[in-house]
Amino acid sequence: MIKRFTGFCTVVFGVLLLTFLLIHLVPGDPVEVMLGDSVTVADRAQLRAELGLDQPLIQQFGTYLAKLTHGDFGRSIHTKTPIVELIKTRYPATLKLAFLSLLIGLSIGLPLGIYAALKAGKWQDLIVTIVSVRLSAMPAFWLGPMLMLIFAVWLGWLPVSGMESNASIVLPALTLGLGLSAILTRMTRTSLLEVLHDDYIRTARAKGITEPNVIIRHALRAALLPIITIVGLQMGSLLAGTVITETIFSWDGIGRLLVESIEKRDYPVTQACVLVVALSYVLVNLLTDILYRLADPRVKFAS
Amino acid sequence: MKKLSFSILAFWMLAVFAGRLFQLNPNHIDLNAILSLPNTTYLLGADDLGRSILARLLRGVEVSFWVAFIVTAVTMTSGVLIGLIAGFYGGKVDQILMQITDIFLAFPGILLAIAFAAVLGPGLGNLMIALCITGWVSYARLTRGQTLSLRNRQHVQAAESLGASVPRLILRHILPLLASILVVEATYSLASVMIAEASLSFLGLGIQSPNASWGAMLRDGVRYMLVAPHYVLIVGLSLMSLILAINLGGDYLRDKFDVRVEK
Repeated sequence: MIKRFTGFCTVVFGVLLLTFLLIHLVPGDPVEVMLGDSVTVADRAQLRAELGLDQPLIQQFGTYLAKLTHGDFGRSIHTKTPIVELIKTRYPATLKLAFLSLLIGLSIGLPLGIYAALKAGKWQDLIVTIVSVRLSAMPAFWLGPMLMLIFAVWLGWLPVSGMESNASIVLPALTLGLGLSAILTRMTRTSLLEVLHDDYIRTARAKGITEPNVIIRHALRAALLPIITIVGLQMGSLLAGTVITETIFSWDGIGRLLVESIEKRDYPVTQACVLVVALSYVLVNLLTDILYRLADPRVKFAS
Repeated sequence: MKKLSFSILAFWMLAVFAGRLFQLNPNHIDLNAILSLPNTTYLLGADDLGRSILARLLRGVEVSFWVAFIVTAVTMTSGVLIGLIAGFYGGKVDQILMQITDIFLAFPGILLAIAFAAVLGPGLGNLMIALCITGWVSYARLTRGQTLSLRNRQHVQAAESLGASVPRLILRHILPLLASILVVEATYSLASVMIAEASLSFLGLGIQSPNASWGAMLRDGVRYMLVAPHYVLIVGLSLMSLILAINLGGDYLRDKFDVRVEK
């Protein structure tokens, strides 16, 4: 566990370093790129000083870290508002979207995976497997517009985009959730099939426990471990997927903030968004790891 | 399935070739044809500037293929090299290199590529640089893991005790055993690079107008979905067929070489 934690700290440090270095990868003078040609020399010097770009690199990184510990991400170049405020207003929307997607993914993926495992080798299993394998390969920027076309334009059941009504979240959440459910279906099927042939399942059946109880209380519990891992790992692509999905559906989350900041060349905001998303992912991974250890006592002995 | 995969790929290649042969112009603007439905002049209709969707699809897939090939070649070479070094030498070198890959993997999905493309500025060259910087990691991890176990195989140790040099050990005794797994990985990565390129172009970070790209076409299609739903549908179905074909091809190669790629 200690080793895992030091690993976690190194990764966090690396993420901070890499995001810090981002602004230095801008070809030429970042201040010039951000402000354009129409400003005075004094304005440029002021921004340069504000971003600390006139200091040595090591010192800049030190200041960057020191500010971050106070929750200070700097200010947006365009709106001059503190970036913390921007993130505070946008992040909840992304969390809401990610959470609902996860819910959709689980509520479709788990039952379908169980169903496929029980029908293993039959045509039902084949159809579920084919659909889920192919669906999981499709990117969000394909699935999103297709869902929009069917449910918003042709059927007219749901709003096309925006955040005005409660129903607005359905399509973006489906876009992210369906991809997730496809992966979960496959994972549930595989891990359930692995344990279904174990001796203790036969024992449970021999004891006369009803079939639903065998599946849910005995088999599924053992099969849950790989599923937890997959959910944790997929939270990452879910978070990254929000960038595209939020852009498609005009959902005002952190992903859209990132894209908007790139369009305006508001690099401090870009930097902050990348950092927040990456750190969320690292944190989710750590939590998954802890959860995994709690769920399976054997993992402790192994490490 | 194998036939389906190859026939879709062959279809697209022939179509690109035919497009070049008949000199379809993806940038020709016909103001009378704006967002028109498929007809005899424009087989798949026209886009928001009255340009042939068919011609733009074909040019887009051509560029996409090239990007995918170049990026895959670069990331595979560099990733495999790093993985071989880490797996072969082990110890401190391995630790440091794997620590670096861990940091890259801490950025979910294409987030890091988006970040790099954003600071480098839009454009095809920068897009490829961004995809190369972020793409080598999976190859490095895969190669490192395999090399680690191959290193202790008897034939490698025998060659080593016979005095074979390190490059010879790696190139003649380890790399050939990695070939099949890498071919499979490369096939899947062709599809993922194409998706990444289209994603970045969709966000406006990749290929710039007036050059054709599927990502940008899909974005325009979404924008004009209410007036011309056929636009987004055509681009969407084309994209689906291509990704499906490449992934089916990957599955075929995986089964043929009997490779178990661990993700």
